[in-house]
Formats: sequence, C-alpha cells, structure tokens
Amino acid sequence: MEGASYQRFPRVKIRELKDDYAKFELHDTDASMANALRRVMIAEVPTIAIDLVEIEVNSSVLNDEFIAHRLGLIPLTSQRAMSMRFSRDCDACDGDGQCEFCSVEFHLRAKCISDQTLDVTSNDLYSSDHTVVPVDFTDYAGYESSEQRGIIIVKLRRGQELRLRAIARKGIGKDHAKWSPAATVTFMYEPEIHINEDMMDTLTLEEKQSFVDSSPTRVFDIDPNTQQVVVVDPEAYTYDDEVLKKAEAMGKPGLVEIYAKEDSFIFTIESTGVVKASQLVLNAIEILKQKLDAVRLSEDTVEADDQFGELGAHMRGG
Amino acid sequence: MEHGSFTDNSAATFSLTDEDHTIANAVRFTLNQDPRVTFCGYSIPHPSEARVNIRVQTTGDPAREVLKDACQNLMLMCRHVRSTFDKAIEDFKASNAVKAMKIDSLDSSGDDSEESE
Repeated sequence: MEGASYQRFPRVKIRELKDDYAKFELHDTDASMANALRRVMIAEVPTIAIDLVEIEVNSSVLNDEFIAHRLGLIPLTSQRAMSMRFSRDCDACDGDGQCEFCSVEFHLRAKCISDQTLDVTSNDLYSSDHTVVPVDFTDYAGYESSEQRGIIIVKLRRGQELRLRAIARKGIGKDHAKWSPAATVTFMYEPEIHINEDMMDTLTLEEKQSFVDSSPTRVFDIDPNTQQVVVVDPEAYTYDDEVLKKAEAMGKPGLVEIYAKEDSFIFTIESTGVVKASQLVLNAIEILKQKLDAVRLSEDTVEADDQFGELGAHMRGG
Repeated sequence: MEHGSFTDNSAATFSLTDEDHTIANAVRFTLNQDPRVTFCGYSIPHPSEARVNIRVQTTGDPAREVLKDACQNLMLMCRHVRSTFDKAIEDFKASNAVKAMKIDSLDSSGDDSEESE
C-alpha cells in the first residue's frame, strides 16, 4: 500500500453476557462502523422462519392466513442458518423449498376432544430437523409454574381441529421482520463527566442534594463520608441535559461538563432466542465482510451501459 | 457500476445496487481515512430504490483502486473486531467461571431460605 491510511483498530470489552443478552464496549472506531454493525444485526443476519403453510384441516375460530401469519412469527432456533442456502439459490431442488439443504419441514396436529379449551402452542410443532425447533422459553429460575409454556398459536373448543404442514426457510430481516434475530440492538456514546470541584465546594449540602436529584436517572450521588458529589454511574446518563439546566438555574453554569466520547460506544443487544447474543454479533461481522467482498469483486465487471443512463448523460454535460 | 471519465480516472462515481446506508457510510468513513482521497461522499438517489452512489476523488490514483483498498481496510477492521470479540468472550467466560464456583457454595444456602418463605 502506498500511503498508509490513518486507520485504527477497534477494541472490544464485554460487560455482560447471557444467552439472549449481551452488553459490550467498542472503542477506537467510528459511529458509521457501529451503526453498520447495528443495521446488519437487525436486518441482514439470516435466520430460519416458517414461510410456507399447507393447511389440511382448520375448524378453529381463526382463519387460515391468520394462523399462517402467526406461525411465521414463531422464533425457530437458527444455528444452521449461516450454513444453509436460500431457497431461491438452491440447486438440489426446484426452488420451491422441499429439500433438506434449503428448508425444514414442520407439522402440527391438534384436535380438542375434551370439554376444556385446548391451547395449541409452539410446543405442538414437530420438526423434521432436531436442530431447528421453536425456541424454548421455559424459565428455569421461575418458581411459579413448572409446566412447559409455549407460544399460543390458537385455542380450540371441543370438536375443533387443526392439521397443517409448514416449511421453514432461511431469510433476512430486510425481507420480513419474522426473520430478524434481534429484539433490540442499541448503542450509545460513552459519556465523560467532569465535575468542577471548586464550583461544587461553593454549594451547600441541600443544593448538592437537589442537584443530584435533578437527574432523571441516577448518575450522581453524595458520598456519605466526604459529603462530595461523585459520579456513581456515568452510563445511566441518557444525554438529557437536565443536570446542565439545573446547574444554570442555580446560577452556576459549568458546574459539570459532560462530553460524549466520539469513538467509544456501549452496545446493548437483546436476541429473540433464535441465536445466542454473542453469536449474533459474530454473524453480523461475517455478513458485513461478505457484503464488502461483493462490492470489492463487483468492481471488476465493466458496465456496458456506462455510456447510457442519466448519470452518464450528466457527466457528458447532457 | 462505475461512472467516470475515460481520460481522468482519479475521480468517479460508483453506483452500487441492493445497498443502503449500512455499507455506504462505513465505506465512506474508511475512504476518508485514506490520505489519497480529496473528496468522498455518498448519496441515495431515491429511498424506494436500493441504490447508493459513492463519489470518490483522489490525488491522482485511480478511484477504483482507492475504493478497493478502502473495502479491504474495512474488511481487515471487521476481521480484527471479530477476533477481539472472540477473545473478549473467552476472557469473560473464564472470569465468570471463577465467580460461578464461588457463588455455587452460597446458592444452596440461599435456596433453603427462599423455599421456607
């Protein structure tokens, strides 16, 4: 490379990591990179969701397309999604999604024979592939109920029946939100808070307490030992300027200075359970690399209609 | 798709289909880090059409090469983020495994008190 670019390499530090929740810090990078990661996580990481439903019998109170819509929204564990092919790209079958490389088949049979209402839930969906199943939401820590909960699809009365076959395919959130693996992905700038100690010393304890209370979230607190205002949780700051307005109202502008560090971000990721939160980030980076590869390699094709097109006409002064 | 002059290839507009702000903003940022670039920006001609125009003007190098280098740099950055993230996960799990062993001995006594309530 001739001129070395002023590129820095980002650092990552993980704060919290659970199966479906991750919080981590990303340093030394730009907002465009952080935003690209966020957008890819929401819209372009592939997952598997039910896409085609063949209903044999439906005598429930909901009509066919209603049930099909609900089935599509059920989250399915999608570890296989990154290695699967899209149905339209599959050459092993004729593209209507019946082969094992590009689709997973489900079936559901429910009939209510008792007087009690039967709840048809996602637990009643039987998969042809044991790695792609409806996400299990049983809360093992909860003491309230020990029975298996699933997502209720429809409720049946005595005599009503539901029998269907469903095919799940790989897709991305851009096509339909059912394929989005992320519940929420947010990032915020890391705040840097400086307290002007000299100015703070001129306040009485009451004034300090009212200053601390003026913030909607608990950012500051009064240290009981030294009676000084200290920053207890800088990241609780939501960039509302309440404390700054309070400082001005008290007649002391500049009492506290809060900057957003332009190259430090705190990501909070919640997954729907289809992939682990950590796996979601890794897949997102992988997809971003694939997109960049596509851009890089597509430059080799010289467009024949360079001469035509409106942009070309503008360039030639047309 | 590259729109430019045949005589002067240091300035060109690249029109990418099926792309949006996700990749365009990141590539624009990486291009700005390159000292050979005098101007770089992107626009989306119409929000209903998935198309991005990236304009690159350089100090003499072919704009196409500069764009390719920017994509390469961005990929390196992605690779680096990935390995850093992998390592951070391992470190986190290792440090948590140590904590979990300490909590385990406390958990059993905690459970007893909850059941009695």
